[in-house]
Amino acid sequence: MKVLIVSTLVYGLVQSATLMLTALGFSLTFGLSGVANFAHGGLYLLSGFLAWGLVNRLGFTFPLAAAATVLLVALLGAAVYRLVLRPVRGIVLSEVISTFALGVALVEGFRWRGFTTYDFSLPPLWPGEVEIAGVSLDMQRLGIVGAGLVLPLALWAFTHHTRVGLALRGMAQDESTALAMGIDSDWAATLSLSLGAALSAVAAVLLLPLGIISINTGYEVLLVALAVTVLGGLESTAGMMLGSLLIGFAVVITGNFVGPHLSEVVYLGALVLVLGLKPSGLLGRSKEIEERV
Amino acid sequence: MSREQAGPRPKARRERIDRGVKARSDDVSVLASPRDLAWLLLPRILPLAALFAFPLLGRLTGSYWQAVMINTLVIALLALSWELLASVGLISLGQSFFFGIGGYLAGVLDTQLKVGPLVGIALATPLGAALATVLLLPLLRLRGIYFGLITFALPLLLMRLVETTGALGGTEGMSGLTALPNRTVELYLLIAALLATVAGFRRLSASDRGLVLHALRDNDRAVLAAGFSLPWLRTQAVFWAALPASFAGAFVTHRYQFVGMPAFAIEYSTLPLTSAVVGGTGSFFGAVVGAFLLVPLSELLRGFGSLRVVAYSLVLLGFTLGLPEGIFRFAARKYAQRERVVPLGEGPKCPPPS
Amino acid sequence: MRTSGVLAAVCALIVAGASAAAEGDLTLGVPTALGTIEGQDSLRSAQLAAQEINAAGGVEVGGKKRRLEIVSIDTREAEAGIPVFDALAAMEKLIAEKKPVAIVVGAFRSEVLLSAMDMIAKVKIPYLCTIGMSPDFEKKIAGDYEKYKYNFRLGLSAPYLVGNLGRMLEFVKKKHGADKVYFVHQDVAWAKGTVGGLSKAMAAGGWKVVGSDAYPTGARDFSPSLTKAKAAAAQVLVPVFDMPESGVLVKQVRSMKLPALVAGFISPAAPATAWATFSGEIDGLVNFLFEPGSIPLATPRSQHFTDAYAKAYGEATRAKLSGHGPGPSYDAVFVLADAIRRAGNTQAEAVVAALEKTDAEGAIGKIVFNKTHQVIYGEDPKQAAVSLAFQWRAGKRRLVYPESVAEGALELPGK
Repeated sequence: MKVLIVSTLVYGLVQSATLMLTALGFSLTFGLSGVANFAHGGLYLLSGFLAWGLVNRLGFTFPLAAAATVLLVALLGAAVYRLVLRPVRGIVLSEVISTFALGVALVEGFRWRGFTTYDFSLPPLWPGEVEIAGVSLDMQRLGIVGAGLVLPLALWAFTHHTRVGLALRGMAQDESTALAMGIDSDWAATLSLSLGAALSAVAAVLLLPLGIISINTGYEVLLVALAVTVLGGLESTAGMMLGSLLIGFAVVITGNFVGPHLSEVVYLGALVLVLGLKPSGLLGRSKEIEERV
Repeated sequence: MSREQAGPRPKARRERIDRGVKARSDDVSVLASPRDLAWLLLPRILPLAALFAFPLLGRLTGSYWQAVMINTLVIALLALSWELLASVGLISLGQSFFFGIGGYLAGVLDTQLKVGPLVGIALATPLGAALATVLLLPLLRLRGIYFGLITFALPLLLMRLVETTGALGGTEGMSGLTALPNRTVELYLLIAALLATVAGFRRLSASDRGLVLHALRDNDRAVLAAGFSLPWLRTQAVFWAALPASFAGAFVTHRYQFVGMPAFAIEYSTLPLTSAVVGGTGSFFGAVVGAFLLVPLSELLRGFGSLRVVAYSLVLLGFTLGLPEGIFRFAARKYAQRERVVPLGEGPKCPPPS
Repeated sequence: MRTSGVLAAVCALIVAGASAAAEGDLTLGVPTALGTIEGQDSLRSAQLAAQEINAAGGVEVGGKKRRLEIVSIDTREAEAGIPVFDALAAMEKLIAEKKPVAIVVGAFRSEVLLSAMDMIAKVKIPYLCTIGMSPDFEKKIAGDYEKYKYNFRLGLSAPYLVGNLGRMLEFVKKKHGADKVYFVHQDVAWAKGTVGGLSKAMAAGGWKVVGSDAYPTGARDFSPSLTKAKAAAAQVLVPVFDMPESGVLVKQVRSMKLPALVAGFISPAAPATAWATFSGEIDGLVNFLFEPGSIPLATPRSQHFTDAYAKAYGEATRAKLSGHGPGPSYDAVFVLADAIRRAGNTQAEAVVAALEKTDAEGAIGKIVFNKTHQVIYGEDPKQAAVSLAFQWRAGKRRLVYPESVAEGALELPGK
């Protein structure tokens, strides 16, 4: 029993960190530029296959491949803004549809080209295992928890203490004032999309080594990102982290003490509960319409 | 800027003017000319006639194309539903939510109450719409983007729920449900539903209430200032939009005598969305035209597997960025207007700067 | 105008699609989930068989020899979002346009298979299924023979899988004294049925079932089961999974240091390339091949299939052969060709009668159908078709079951 409780704590943290990393890119892009990037899942999948290709076709070592992937996908994110989002900037309908179409095209494109076999596996960045109070945990998962703590802190420092980060935050708070201060809106949006894409690549190279790359991850990732972000509140990164903690532990507790077959329903249950009680999310600052004025 | 800096004066400009026949047929005098009358009426009558005649041409078309037509009409209903929601500012990325609820409700009515397919569909439509609306109520207070996010996630999560709890048939679904009388009845039922939806929605949009609903999308503060309750208005819009989608779900359940997790499939969300965008957002006819173009085309690509999905998501992307007005608007515009090049003369004489 | 251009293109495509295949050829239809490995491998195996038959002159039909042509369509039924009728529409399109004389490989998912049987009952052409495993297939044929007699199955069925798994684990119990088993399976019909049947049989055989967990398709964390299995000191872990995400289970077993023997069916761990994919972490894992193909039997026919496949498609493709589908799909084409030859024509009634009398040697072993049109599986390739189990050892797959073909004894991990 004691082992079960320790296991719940440990793997609950792992699950929360996993969810948080998955959602971080999406949440950040939305928070900084107001764009719901529905291509998030497609970019995640692309990062995985890209890293695999760099390792297995070009002979890179995995850390090098991971870094290169993050860089390349960041550039791709910028390209996505310039080519797909800028023509329809401001028209929410078209923004959502175009990123959604891009995401589907990416995922199904991979499926069509036959990336469905079982040999797409990425090596872990940190091999080996450790033992924590009788529960054995692999180093990769430990690294994931570490990244889950370090990355949000780094991002917080970036957006609060660097010029570029402050400019992005300013743009998110009040676009007209930011423009008046000389911050270019296009540049800010490009950067925020690029950053969001880079974060989804980071999540991919950290999380995909836990198993093998499967095409359906493209949709799963988007679903998780949505659930966690909406739960925490769309504009709040702290809310997103809180949301991932809640859902992460809920999933593992359900799995350990009730039955794993119910663990996927937890997402739905959590969403329903939060939306019923506090529709704008746990820490959402989005006021309800009547209060907006 | 001085004359020299502005660059050379263009020799001509493009303009759009109404075609002669359009100008002539804009008032009652069109009744005097059979040709102009034909120009006016044929685009409206021919498709309707073809639609009504189609079920009777069964031997010519074969059962495969009849099945394609049924699919097309189902997607057209979902696209119309999407269009109404979009005209109110709610972007739905999960039409399959409404579809699935209607479908499962029809399945439950059939297995529990055994009322027969026609009564079952008639009941499942309003009940399904009401249920879907109630489930979405908490979202209607929030910004439009929440609606999009949650409608994307809801069908996928409901699919998980059914799979995990094994309720409503679980992974196997409910099969062996009562079939509709015959193919002809099925087709006419769908056609009637389509026409009723198009007529109803256009009526709604043209009415005073419709004006307020459109204002929700354009300037919701004005609506607020006028004393309307935004959530209540949105609730009404969601209910009306959910009706044809719920009908489609109930219909498909009886058509294939089966309802299961695939009722929440992502294809029932992406196809109507693509149809509406291809046909042209902002127009109900556009949604229907888009469906009639897209579904048979995607059917022809069926042999290509997943390429089909890639193809129509790229089509969606292309149309969103390149032709936002959609095919229907474009075609309608070309039908009624033409472009011509007008030569420009010398222009006003400006005194030289002193 | 754009619209008229689109309409013209649509008309052209319709006309092009309507034109049929070359005259004089016998067409075999393959409507299946071509987006999956099993589907692709099965299609390639069927095509290989057709090539070999054509190279020998073709199928003999009443004195004349006719070429075989394989046409396929992707039903996409393996994707969760595809409704049954969508998959069936693909099959209907194939049948309507290409007018095949029979269908091989067939449906993937149980619901699609069972509904396809109804369509076949209307269309009345032979249907040789090699992938779908539902036991309801046989039940339907038994329930209404005249209506469903056109359906045959060469692939392994779920009841046989349960029997094989049970017998193999009995051997583990006898030799190594294991008696505590933990089941982990995918929350889908065939896996649930398999584990249900197996846990009943094993409990009756003296095993203690210390746990049984179902995971929804797409689950990526198996720590609940592994923690509990470790705590309960289970000696055997039986996974039954057909989803790529089960690769996580394979890796987690190693990282959580579970000392149990892992014996069951995990699709990513079946092909020859799995050792490289998992960087050797699957040492000691016992996996089932539903039918021979990826690993051949020691019979000439079976070896020929594997060699010919490598020759036709390359060694790399052969190394990725999945454990379910290729063997029986290859055999199905030959079985059908032989039945047509014996019937003397391609009329469905005659071919069905001839199929029932099949007694052939195939890549999967001896092919004989039982009364409900299912190939009989057993332990001796000279008497029945055989389902194989192997254990990963030092980069190689060593056959450990059935005893008639075993290359070595099943070893517990850590020994």
